[in-house]
Amino acid sequence: MNQEKYGTTAITLHWLVALLIVIAFSVGHYMADLDLSPWKLKVFAWHKWVGVTIFGLVCFRIFWRATHAAPPLPRGMGELMKKLSGLAHFAIYLLMLAIPLTGWLHSSAAGVTVVYFNVLTLPDLVGKDKALSHLFKEIHESLNWALLGLVILHVAAALKHQFVDRDNLLNRMRW
Amino acid sequence: MKNTGLRVALALASLLFLGTAAAGGIVAEKSTLSFVGKQLGAPVEGRFKRFDADIVFNPANLAQSHARITIDLDSIDLASDESESEIKGKSWFNVSAFPKAVFESTAFRALGGDRYEVSGRLSIKGVTRTLSVPLQFRTVAGVRTAEGSVELHRSDFKVGEGVWADPDSVAEAVQVRFKMTLKP
Repeated sequence: MNQEKYGTTAITLHWLVALLIVIAFSVGHYMADLDLSPWKLKVFAWHKWVGVTIFGLVCFRIFWRATHAAPPLPRGMGELMKKLSGLAHFAIYLLMLAIPLTGWLHSSAAGVTVVYFNVLTLPDLVGKDKALSHLFKEIHESLNWALLGLVILHVAAALKHQFVDRDNLLNRMRW
Repeated sequence: MKNTGLRVALALASLLFLGTAAAGGIVAEKSTLSFVGKQLGAPVEGRFKRFDADIVFNPANLAQSHARITIDLDSIDLASDESESEIKGKSWFNVSAFPKAVFESTAFRALGGDRYEVSGRLSIKGVTRTLSVPLQFRTVAGVRTAEGSVELHRSDFKVGEGVWADPDSVAEAVQVRFKMTLKP
């Protein structure tokens, strides 16, 4: 039985970011098909604020992870599975950075500056360019579907450990 | 004989006419007309790709100087097809009924140095209002440019009506910036 856990900060960051990703993904999916209206502008602004929050939290998470060792993986895991698990986590981290960044790029290219919570004006990453804006939108959406796939894999793997291998893996991420 | 003389005179006259008309035009690829508005507090940029101007400007003779700028509203660039089709619609510019915006100067005033102020009438969407626009007129290497900016209030011209009237959603103030490069 694996009784070693992540630290409280790491656990809190994990679940907070997970919750915000679910919100940003759902809102993003909902707003994409809305007709242009003041409501749509509002929803877009909220989506961007959540995205910027995720980006900041993920940067902090990476710093935290780099300075705080993760608990060891379950003993029963083979070398290949450990490698695959590392790879999947690396990809998730990469997407958690790339998705907000491409969203930000899309907004900049669309000529809309991002103003975080209507207070902090973020720099425009690129100049206004319709073709570029469209490209970043496509990339932003595709990366989201990739993240959804990885998150499903992540959850399925955690459940498999918990209920098939019965190695109590979920305990690592429990407060 | 008499006929030929008349033809030559006419040809000369039309050449002269074309000459003066060209002198009042602008170099389209070196002229810009852009604007910055705000939606939910966030700056949004746009520009007009097509506009024409007839500008005769002489710092030594401001009384005879004049400017007429015609903006093709259908050429608006907002970097989003969705926003562009919305802003051309009835609530905003209503481009099908009012395809052009026109600024016609009434007077120029020197403000000192290379700074001037042009007063005139701006017509958008069937509404005409008077306004004064500060500008900087420069001649660099023989190229004459007039550059400046002015703040417009969109509700003055009924731009953004109905659900879009709320200034918390799209701000009232729109900063319009221009740079006109005059033909030599």
